[in-house]
Amino acid sequence: MPDATTPDSGPGAIPVLDMVSPMLGFPEHRRFALARLDEEGTVCDLRSLEDTDLRFVVVPPSLFFDDYTPEVADTVAESLRAESGDDLVALVVVTLGEASGDATANLLAPVLVNPRHRLAAQVVLDDADLPVRAPLLPAGAAAR
Amino acid sequence: MLVLSRRVGDSVVIGDDVVITVLEVRGDVIRIGVDAPRSVAVRRQELLAELTENNRAAASPSPAAVDGLADLLQRRQRRDDGPTA
Repeated sequence: MPDATTPDSGPGAIPVLDMVSPMLGFPEHRRFALARLDEEGTVCDLRSLEDTDLRFVVVPPSLFFDDYTPEVADTVAESLRAESGDDLVALVVVTLGEASGDATANLLAPVLVNPRHRLAAQVVLDDADLPVRAPLLPAGAAAR
Repeated sequence: MLVLSRRVGDSVVIGDDVVITVLEVRGDVIRIGVDAPRSVAVRRQELLAELTENNRAAASPSPAAVDGLADLLQRRQRRDDGPTA
């Protein structure tokens, strides 16, 4: 497994993403590097290039939430220069709990990425029923 | 802060194309309508505060916590997928 604390190996090695709308609460951080933390790409690291101490753990929601298909307004897609939803990759921000099994994911405000244009945005979806803290794993998963 | 008194049915216009209308006043609940172009995000303030707070809680977890999650997920994936890649 790559060492998450190692600085990026060089320009071009890691996709650099420009945030067209920033992580909520972190408006000054506009450029992030996205890196896999495991070989499968299950866990990714979204690290600020403005301040490399700031990072978020993000995961592809499809691995954890079967029915989750974020729908975004045309204006959001346009801001990410996406011609259709297929151009965008969704990632959800993980909050780590006391134990690994307590991790939650923010389904209301995913990070949408347009890999082709290296653009990203944390987008607040219109579906107010989506949870901000959805358990990433079923209860008791850590014990097994 | 600009403070305006408005009656039900009255509106306030912000910029060129955002119109806020007082629809109903009932006790301490005021219903307002917001007419804005789709490019203007209209959110409840407490929702943005909750999302900001959640991002702060999520930001910069300890490397040990990240490793713990990665290990847990890898074990889970192996269990789910079996021997296939």
